[in-house]
Amino acid sequence: MNNTLLSFTIAILFGFGTFLILRRDIIKVIIGLGVLSHAVNMLIVSVGVFTGTKVPIILGSHGEHGASGASGTIFNDALADGVLAPVVAAGTHIDYVDPLVQALVLTAIVISLATTAFILILAYRIHEEYGTTDLRELRRLWG
Amino acid sequence: MDPFNAITLAIFLPFIVAGLIPAAEKILKHYVGWLAAATALISFLLIATVLPLVIHDGPISYAVPWLSSVGIDFSLYIDGLSILIGFLASGIGVLIMAYSNGYMSHKEDLPRYYMWLLLFMGSMVGMVFSANTILLFIFWELTSITSYMLIGYWRDKPESIYGATKSLIITAAGGLVMLAGFLFLHSITGTFDIPTILQNEALIQTVKDHNLFLITLVLIFIGAAAKSAQGPFYIWLPNAMEAPTPVSAFLHSATMVKAGIYLVGRMHPIFSGTEAWFILVSGTGMITMVMAGFMAFRQTDIKGILAYSTISQLAYIMTMYGYTTQHHPGIGVTAATFHLLNHATFKACLFLVAGIIAHEVATRDIRKMGGLRREMPITFIIAVIGALSMAGIPPLNGFLSKEMFYESSVEMGAALGSPYTILIPVIAIMGGVFTFAYSIKLIDGIFLGKRPKKGLPKHIHDPGIIMLIPAAFLAFLVILFGLVPSIPVHYIVEPTASGILLEPVHLHVKLWHGITTPLIMTIVTFILGILVYSKYDAIAAWQDRFNARHPRISVNYHYDAAVDNAKTYAHKISSVTQPGTIKTYINAVLILIVTLVCIPIILLGADVIPQTLNFNIAPYEALLMLLMIVAGIAIVVLPGYLPAIIALSALGYMVGLLFIYLKAPDLALTQVLVETLSTIIFFLAIAKIPQKFKEKIPTTTLIRDVIISVAIASTVFIMLVNATQGIVSPFESLSHYFIENSLTLAGGHNIVNVIIVDFRGYDTLGEISVLCLAALGVYNLIHSRSEEK
Repeated sequence: MNNTLLSFTIAILFGFGTFLILRRDIIKVIIGLGVLSHAVNMLIVSVGVFTGTKVPIILGSHGEHGASGASGTIFNDALADGVLAPVVAAGTHIDYVDPLVQALVLTAIVISLATTAFILILAYRIHEEYGTTDLRELRRLWG
Repeated sequence: MDPFNAITLAIFLPFIVAGLIPAAEKILKHYVGWLAAATALISFLLIATVLPLVIHDGPISYAVPWLSSVGIDFSLYIDGLSILIGFLASGIGVLIMAYSNGYMSHKEDLPRYYMWLLLFMGSMVGMVFSANTILLFIFWELTSITSYMLIGYWRDKPESIYGATKSLIITAAGGLVMLAGFLFLHSITGTFDIPTILQNEALIQTVKDHNLFLITLVLIFIGAAAKSAQGPFYIWLPNAMEAPTPVSAFLHSATMVKAGIYLVGRMHPIFSGTEAWFILVSGTGMITMVMAGFMAFRQTDIKGILAYSTISQLAYIMTMYGYTTQHHPGIGVTAATFHLLNHATFKACLFLVAGIIAHEVATRDIRKMGGLRREMPITFIIAVIGALSMAGIPPLNGFLSKEMFYESSVEMGAALGSPYTILIPVIAIMGGVFTFAYSIKLIDGIFLGKRPKKGLPKHIHDPGIIMLIPAAFLAFLVILFGLVPSIPVHYIVEPTASGILLEPVHLHVKLWHGITTPLIMTIVTFILGILVYSKYDAIAAWQDRFNARHPRISVNYHYDAAVDNAKTYAHKISSVTQPGTIKTYINAVLILIVTLVCIPIILLGADVIPQTLNFNIAPYEALLMLLMIVAGIAIVVLPGYLPAIIALSALGYMVGLLFIYLKAPDLALTQVLVETLSTIIFFLAIAKIPQKFKEKIPTTTLIRDVIISVAIASTVFIMLVNATQGIVSPFESLSHYFIENSLTLAGGHNIVNVIIVDFRGYDTLGEISVLCLAALGVYNLIHSRSEEK
């Protein structure tokens, strides 16, 4: 189970981010998006499916499995049963934390850098063209 | 060639050539139209190769598996009916595309014109040979779309756009209704395949006895009526006359409007022999025939007269297909088929004449014309042949099929008994009388009488040979089919009628077969027609007065009102839902998040806060989280940009530290690097943006925003503490697969790395693309400024 304090921290950051994206100042909104993306990344990493505690890096070169004590496959290929995903036998314990969510978040971190850079330049250009960063004023100017 | 291959090629060749037209135009210049005409000719010949087989052995069907799992195959059904319409589409296509070489100015956008013509032709041929209702529907809508593009060919004319939109709305919507009908038919019969139904009498009987029979019939018929401009759906056809005249001749008289007729013919064996079929098909047909013929009087545009005439003539065919009794389901089928062919010849011929006149005289207003017979003698002769055939004068082909129309009307009336014995023939004669009158008007108004002193160009002459030959060829067919009816009857009408009636048909059509009831009806028609023609202008004037006094009686009035209202209401709705203020959108999304998470929690009845909470944590980790909250508070509270960004940066580095606690070293590394970079970008941008605007938050806004934020925070918290409490997704995680195969399949020890560069490599490719796009976007945003200043 997740640490309650961690969940609380993530939730609080969500609240802060939400408050900021409701502001009228574009820069504050962008900062809010930054806070939100941190919070989302932490949220995703914290809800992996495994209860394992090891970093998902396989040590040794013999293909040691994460499954404790298992030497064969750790999942049954359940395609024949009409399930389109590998199904782990009940009670299987896996030492690692979930690597998939980490891979997803790794992608997300890089993409949020790209979008932050883009949106900042956009804000900068808006400021240049319209001389304001107030969203309400901009809405008025655009008609 | 194998018939299946021949027909498949006939369908797809126009599509392929259409794709090559823009490139070909670079080499052929304005001769590109001849390439299109040659393509149509090849399609025509390919279809012709199949005809002997069909006459000899009956219908042929083929299928190539396509979406077999849902019962949809690429399947073709080749019988007389499909060949007839296929002949019209490709054969008239040849003439039209040849004629266009003379009609279209070389300055026009010719590739676009011929491309859409060919696409239309391919769709039309594909539609008639489709054995599968879904395939038929696809080609059906393709003809609507190509027709839309062709009507709107002159993009800068508002009338073109109006006409194109109207035709698309009506025919495409009709197509969707038809699709619903096909789905009903599928639910009754269990198949999308038309031949399967046609060849199974028991199945046809099931359809007729089924509860859903009537709704299925009505839905399919609405599709057919919309396409063939029958009943109230007629309104799109007159506006479609904004298309270039060759297009009108091709799509809106000879081929596309025949699609509805084709569908009625195709469905004839399934639905005919019932009262509903007669009332719906013949009823709609008779009303349309008389009304459209009558309304043609007040048209002043030659193409307008021809448009109403087309509606009326199509209604003849519709009426004849509708003539049915239980014992004799196809009373009018042979007559309808013959008229279908004849109408295509004389009407296309008249449209080409209208095109010639518009081209040479520079107007299409019949009031400004007169006495052109001396200046355009050849055009005059062609026009007379076409118009007299339409009027039903012997020995032209229109006379023969008009006689057959009267004959079948008498037979149908007799079968129904009094008062229909008289009523149906009388309605038929009324249709004939109006047709006669406006046909004479075309000849008289344009070519006879005196040449007006003003309004016409000084020198008017017959057009070049390119435009004359196609029209003359059609006029030749009109005479040929009239004098030697056995040629079309044997090669086209008999196979077509057998295709519809599903039994061999033998027909003998002669010009003279003694004094019979139809002949007397024809003579009555001529006498009444001459009488009506003598009052032609008075009737037209009365119609104008009537329309001015009762605008609401017109279908167009209601169409326009509906379209306008749709626009108004759409604007009203979107001005509420899309006000353009970002805050509204954000609020909507946030409220949705809260609702979507709360509903399942309430429904599942889970304890919102679980009993056991886990506060077991190392002190330095607790401190880290506490610091994150402090940084968060700083970001919100600090008013200046710079302090807030520094706080954000601090938060980002702490997130990196937290990833170590969460056993994610790769993330920690990436986070630290990215945070460094993103802080630099923030500083670079902020340095250029002075903080002029300082928002003073009103108390009400503050309270509202705080409530929303707290709601979001609580939602996330509840979600998180419950997410690990055993709310299990229905699908197992893929992670197991990655853990097991990381080393064996990809040879990588670091599972996260292997997922990113190997198992989910495409995701990473997408990520890189996003980075590239963002970089391009940034570059362009900066670049756009330097150009202006």
